[in-house]
Amino acid sequence: MLKKFINKPEDVVNEMIEGYLVAHKDVVRKLDSSRVLVRKEAPIEGKVGIVTGGGSGHKPAFIGYIGENLLDAVAVGDIFASPSAKQIYDAIKAVDSGRGVLCVLGNYSGDVMNFDMAVEMARDEGIKVEQVIINDDVGSAPRENRENRRGVAGEVIVWKAVGAKAAKGASLEEVKEIAQRVNDNTRSMGVAHSPCAVPSKMYGGEPTFTLGEMEMEIGVGHHGEPGVKRMPIKTADEVTKMLVEPVLEDLPFRKGDRVSVLINGLGSTSLLEMYIIYRKLYQILKGREITIAISFIGEFFTSLEMGGFSITLTRLDKELESLLKSPAKSPLFHYC
Amino acid sequence: MASKIVSILQEIVKVLEEKKAELNRLDANLGDGDHGRTVVNAFRNVIEQNKDLEYKDLGDALQKIGRTLAFSTGAATGPLFGSAFIEAGKRVQGKEKLTLRDWKNALSGAVEGVKKRGKAEVGDKTMLDTLYPAVKALEQSVDKNESLKEGLLKAIEAAKRGMESTKDLISRRGRSSRLGERTIGHIDPGAASSYYILQTIIKNCLEEE
Repeated sequence: MLKKFINKPEDVVNEMIEGYLVAHKDVVRKLDSSRVLVRKEAPIEGKVGIVTGGGSGHKPAFIGYIGENLLDAVAVGDIFASPSAKQIYDAIKAVDSGRGVLCVLGNYSGDVMNFDMAVEMARDEGIKVEQVIINDDVGSAPRENRENRRGVAGEVIVWKAVGAKAAKGASLEEVKEIAQRVNDNTRSMGVAHSPCAVPSKMYGGEPTFTLGEMEMEIGVGHHGEPGVKRMPIKTADEVTKMLVEPVLEDLPFRKGDRVSVLINGLGSTSLLEMYIIYRKLYQILKGREITIAISFIGEFFTSLEMGGFSITLTRLDKELESLLKSPAKSPLFHYC
Repeated sequence: MASKIVSILQEIVKVLEEKKAELNRLDANLGDGDHGRTVVNAFRNVIEQNKDLEYKDLGDALQKIGRTLAFSTGAATGPLFGSAFIEAGKRVQGKEKLTLRDWKNALSGAVEGVKKRGKAEVGDKTMLDTLYPAVKALEQSVDKNESLKEGLLKAIEAAKRGMESTKDLISRRGRSSRLGERTIGHIDPGAASSYYILQTIIKNCLEEE
């Protein structure tokens, strides 16, 4: 069992929300009848609403990104389980100013089915809604089956870009195109050396997978889905190389490209380690004459207490670079 | 029978509660180990939101149950089980009592609903592998003019064999599909829970007869 400081496993999500709401009451509110968190000012006149949602256990995702030039509403599911169609529908309705709503979601069967139903319901009521499904995880399926890939930390880059675009007053079609463009140019790959546990009993839960004491797994998903390969743990430099090479080859990223880099800790990997990884990543990209235009290093989309990290690269054009570099502010994400 | 709907739902919750640990364990082999908890909560929620489900029209009742499952459960379980009940209900609209042919139509509706929502096929190691053999068995019983009881008992048997057959299949849909060949040797939790639900419904309906 992995230990946790919780009260009752069935209460973790609601108690977390309770704490979050009182801590950040100036920024977010909760809908009365639905487990949906909404930016306090939403719906914002003249702005396309940005909605996402997913299972809990990924802090600071998803609710931590509700804020200025970021997300407008999040439908909050149980740990690692999609929110219901009704919650997503409520979220869409809560942030529609009349200019429409963009839903951004990760490619997981539960999320896809529930978002599909919610979008149908909202459209039936005459709300303009579009959705973009994110699938940046190279480790989850080969290139020819790209549509089966999961959405992982690349979702954060999409939120940042669409949040900035929507804040400029862009139309729903324009905001959707940005989401699609970021997704098409984003690739991620992760590694873990220790599992996470869904809270299931007093004081903790069982690990979602097991690895040998000196083992790691390349390509592990954000919920402990199995990856590409298990092997003995390697040094930071070796692992960085193993992750970034398939990412670079997949798009592919080429000499002369400008990129955004996201090093994402999965829950119990330290910043100390992440900067060691960033150092190596910088050297590799420099060697290939790829320029890092913007970097994000830290915990952006975790997997409870999983030990590991992921690397996300996004190929930038002028517009994407400017969107990613524009200021954004939420309780758990800050860029200026 | 329609007036018994709530008590059948309660019976489903009771059975799923008994099987909760087993379903969680099956799910832990292939997913994140919470399927038992999810289905129990899903049907509890159905009862909670449909306390006065006293329908003359079974088609309506099934669709109402289905909509609650589909829209307010979440996870993958809600939309899939919900679509099954909604499409089953549509095939028996206006009926107060079901013949063997109605059962066949309702269950094949359920299969179509799950296929469409989950974009899955029979053999993908899902709940379809429980439901589809039951439809096939019902078709044969209808053709042979068997009694309602005989036909339904054969359907339960077929569903059970279907559930057990998922042990040898490779998962092709949902989270577990990423495990590929590592899924061989494990019964699919959705195939198991849908078997327990179908078995409970049929058992209770037969007691009514």
